[in-house]
Amino acid sequence: MIELRRAAVIVLMFLGVGVGLHLLLDPLREAGEPTLVKAVSLAAGLSLAVLGLLGGYLVARLPKERLDAVADRLESLVHKRTVGLVIGESQADAIGRLGHAVNRYLTFVKDEIEQSHLTAKEQQIQMKVLEAEKRHVEAVIHAISDGVIVTDAFGDLVLSNAAAGQIFEFQFEPSVRKPVEEFISDQPFLKLLAEMRETGLFVPHRTVEWAIGEGDQRRAFHVTLNTVVEGKKRDRISSVVAVLHDMTREKEIARMKSDFVSNVSHELKTPLASIKAYVEMLLDGEATDHDTAQECLRTIAAETDRLHRLIQSILNLSRLESGLIPVNKTDLALTEVLREVVDVISPQAAKKRVALKADLAPVFFRVHGDRDMLYQALLNVVSNAVKYTPDDGEVRISTYLAEGAVVVDVADSGVGIPEDEVDRIFEKFYRARGAKQTAPGTGLGLPLVKHVVEAVHGGRVELETKVDQGSTFRLYLPAVR
Amino acid sequence: MPIKILVADDEAAIARVVAMKLRNAGLDVTVAMDGDEAYRCAMAERPSLLITDLQMPGMSGIELCARLAAELDGGVPTILLTAKGFEIDELAVRGLPILRIMTKPFSPRELLVNVKGELAETACL
Repeated sequence: MIELRRAAVIVLMFLGVGVGLHLLLDPLREAGEPTLVKAVSLAAGLSLAVLGLLGGYLVARLPKERLDAVADRLESLVHKRTVGLVIGESQADAIGRLGHAVNRYLTFVKDEIEQSHLTAKEQQIQMKVLEAEKRHVEAVIHAISDGVIVTDAFGDLVLSNAAAGQIFEFQFEPSVRKPVEEFISDQPFLKLLAEMRETGLFVPHRTVEWAIGEGDQRRAFHVTLNTVVEGKKRDRISSVVAVLHDMTREKEIARMKSDFVSNVSHELKTPLASIKAYVEMLLDGEATDHDTAQECLRTIAAETDRLHRLIQSILNLSRLESGLIPVNKTDLALTEVLREVVDVISPQAAKKRVALKADLAPVFFRVHGDRDMLYQALLNVVSNAVKYTPDDGEVRISTYLAEGAVVVDVADSGVGIPEDEVDRIFEKFYRARGAKQTAPGTGLGLPLVKHVVEAVHGGRVELETKVDQGSTFRLYLPAVR
Repeated sequence: MPIKILVADDEAAIARVVAMKLRNAGLDVTVAMDGDEAYRCAMAERPSLLITDLQMPGMSGIELCARLAAELDGGVPTILLTAKGFEIDELAVRGLPILRIMTKPFSPRELLVNVKGELAETACL
């Protein structure tokens, strides 16, 4: 409406100018130049009219339409949800300058939005990477066989792994962010964590021995505690990390080694004691007659041999158990090995008139084994059978297939083993009551048999026995298919 | 009361040499080859002194001493002869009539001196 009035005023102005010119040119008309006057006045009038109309049109049209175009463009951009330029052409007038400034601003806004999108995308990617790394770290911690427990500065659970859950019998998911006292009842361990929270700034690392359980269930641990500190001055504890390394097996092995050394020492001292005592008796002239002297000397000789056999057996078994003797396995016929053993033992059996019967199947049952080790194991079993069978007794050896294994039975009619000693018969140096009184031995023969058959060849050894009736040792060795 | 010494050891050679030394010194010696046999002998003969190994099949030397202390008035004064001298549990021997612990290898000469000394202490000689 304002633009129309403005246009009308301008047109009227130009018309007014035109009329004025026409009137002014009247004198010329009267002076006798009517044609010229008419022409000039007509031309001026028409020009002014056209100019007026054109001016009115332009003034009326340009501001409103341009602004409408800008508004339409903005609406379109909003509708398309995009940021773009608003005015295409550039003009020097106010609207043109405004449009140019708006375009520049919108370009700036677009750049900022794009930058924000990029930043948001980067942050999303970083978040995903961090999530993946967090899951990886958690998976690594869960895979650790040592127990790991992490608590915060208030004693709430932050992180733990499956091993820790198994030690204290709790699950991580329901326990996270809860005080550890709610699911761990072991007071000494809770005290360790509390002490670390209190003193961890001064003593950030500790290693202690700790145990849980009683009797057979008792487990020993090596616990390493560390504090994680934070803050610019590193004056605040953020976490306490406890790592529990199960030492139960290691302690058991250390105890077994200690027991072994103690047993070896004891076993070696026994023949030495005899040798020393008899030598002293001879030196002191206590062997008052020739026969007694001879008996002393025979005892010294026998105990010296015994000592030597003992040392050899200990070394042999130790080397076998420690893997120093290489294992060379081939497919071999167990019957052939047994035949060799029988040949070697036959003279010993014949001396005692013990019947040595070998019921070996004609078909060669094959096992995958170390020939020398199997020979030694079978020799020990058969030799024991003859040794602990009284004169005129019998030892029967047989082989057969059963349960996918080649089975070797060595049955004797000997002294047998008391029931309360059966569980101990494979212990190093252990000798049953009847054995000790019947024949000499080191107590290492059967431990070697057990190691060779079970540890080296994956088989098993069984025993059936009755005092004064005899024993049957049964060896199972996996058969080659 | 005649002096009787009971020697208990599952090692025959040791039992024989100890018996030989003590008999040569004029002492009456009975030999048992394990703890159970020694217990039966002790209950039957009431020896003046028991010389026993520690580790034997069945009843150990300490168990033998404890059982005799419980069933015989005052038990039987005992000398332990063992290869495990330093590993003996003090608690296990507390209150038992164990006069002395001798470790193997041992000297029969020294054993005889100790036996005579203990017998004199207990006024048997």
